[in-house]
Amino acid sequence: MSTSREYLLSVQSVAKAFGGNQVLRDVSFNVQRGEIVGLLGPNGSGKSTLLNCITGFEAVDGGAIALGARRIERLQAHRIVRHGIARTFQLPSMPTKMSVIEVAMAACTRQHGVLATLLGLPALRRAEEQARAKAERLIDELLLSPVRDLPASALSGGQKKLLGIVCALMGEPELVLLDEPTAGVHPNLRRDLVEALKRLNAQGMTLVIVEHDMHFIRDVCSRCVVLDRGEIVASCRPDKLASNARVIQAYLGGRHSPQALEENAP
Amino acid sequence: MFDFLVSALTFASLYGLMALGLNLQAGYGGLLNFGHIAFAGLGAYGTGIAVQAGYSPWLGMAFGVLLAMGLGGCVARLGRKLASDYWGIATLAIAEILRVVATNEGWLTGGAQGIGAIPTLFDGVAFLLMMLALLGIATLLCQRLADGRFGRALRLMREEPQLAACMGYDLTSLKSRAIMASAALTAIAGSLYAHFMSYVGPDYLLASETFLLWTMLMIGGLGNLRGVLLGVFLVQAAYSLVPFAKDYLGFDSDLAGALRLGLIGAILLACLMWRSEGLIPEKVRKIA
Repeated sequence: MSTSREYLLSVQSVAKAFGGNQVLRDVSFNVQRGEIVGLLGPNGSGKSTLLNCITGFEAVDGGAIALGARRIERLQAHRIVRHGIARTFQLPSMPTKMSVIEVAMAACTRQHGVLATLLGLPALRRAEEQARAKAERLIDELLLSPVRDLPASALSGGQKKLLGIVCALMGEPELVLLDEPTAGVHPNLRRDLVEALKRLNAQGMTLVIVEHDMHFIRDVCSRCVVLDRGEIVASCRPDKLASNARVIQAYLGGRHSPQALEENAP
Repeated sequence: MFDFLVSALTFASLYGLMALGLNLQAGYGGLLNFGHIAFAGLGAYGTGIAVQAGYSPWLGMAFGVLLAMGLGGCVARLGRKLASDYWGIATLAIAEILRVVATNEGWLTGGAQGIGAIPTLFDGVAFLLMMLALLGIATLLCQRLADGRFGRALRLMREEPQLAACMGYDLTSLKSRAIMASAALTAIAGSLYAHFMSYVGPDYLLASETFLLWTMLMIGGLGNLRGVLLGVFLVQAAYSLVPFAKDYLGFDSDLAGALRLGLIGAILLACLMWRSEGLIPEKVRKIA
């Protein structure tokens, strides 16, 4: 692939079917380093499946996915994470017997061998201390400090999403895929989240965000990719979405004015 | 009386080591191993076969530990596509296969008669002291493992495997390392069991032994070491007390055997009904 060197993430002709249901057909798009790309589409358009295919949780039926120059479409999920793609889930579920801080620290996966843990070498203790400090910082940044010692399962839906983001950021990935980060998150917190994401992006992190909130998309994303029934129907700047005929058709199903999309913004 | 107490406590510490091993898999990793006793059996037979062939019993123990770890690695990898409950059934089957092999391959294992004349390393009290020291060390090591990075990864895998995978943990490798560590500990216990009884036979591999260990864990509390040790102590105490009651109340031996099982069943049932997480449930760990 000649294009793979120029893009951080490159998705080429990816197809995926569940039984007879073709969920993704010939999906191709690229993400440049430093972009924040919004992935949009009506319910059932294949956004989450696409995320699952990129992160190795679903095997693709065909097509190619590359991170930088490395083909990743046949790799297992944990290997893809190690190459630098982290993700969050739409409906995160969290452990009942681990505190928020412990879950965040678990996201630091280095040196977790049996012998290393048994011996408790100084290097390991340092790494553990670093992981704790980093987890504290991210927890503080995403306003989870008050619930730091609660069982992670006791968090509200919105807080679980934030904890999911904390976990995704712990490994310092190059690319983060966020599945509906603002659904269920309080509006005040949403503002902080926008700021936090922009800050991370300024530090060089590339983001792909599945989202239904148009305001959020407009505030954060530099480009939008729109999926409809498993196909990409548009790739444009967020402010051009409302005047894109195919996007309007995807969301509203017929001939509607741009205003109608604004009013019905999902 | 003193001898009886020493032997009861020695049995309790032997079972304690095996229960700690099972807890590594079932308590932290959430792995439903119903063939756990196979690891102890391999440790015991490793020792028995080495002694029979004239080698040092320590070599036999090492051989048994290696065999058990090998079996553990295989079990983890063979069953990586199975859902946890089906995997549990597979482990039960593997332990049964080993028991049948041990019963029938007389040239190697002595068949149903087993292998006798295994030297007891120390006598009575000294053996008990060694066992208590070993149990203490094993408990400390398990504690360190559980609270450290490996245990954290295991506990995350137990509760949220998808989250663990998307943090970059290789679940198959986590499972097999947990099972192999557990197998090593359990095989040491099995080998010492053979020394203590100076005998090894296919009865060591009975599925009921695995379920006895499970009972201890469920009564005490899975995933927490104090709970596991309490469970071992309680079950072992119930086992040892019934013969006393028999002498005291004057019922016959058949009834005593049945009462033993009935008593443990009743304790288990009561725990399941009123303390479903065991007498000492696992707590969320504090990180200062």
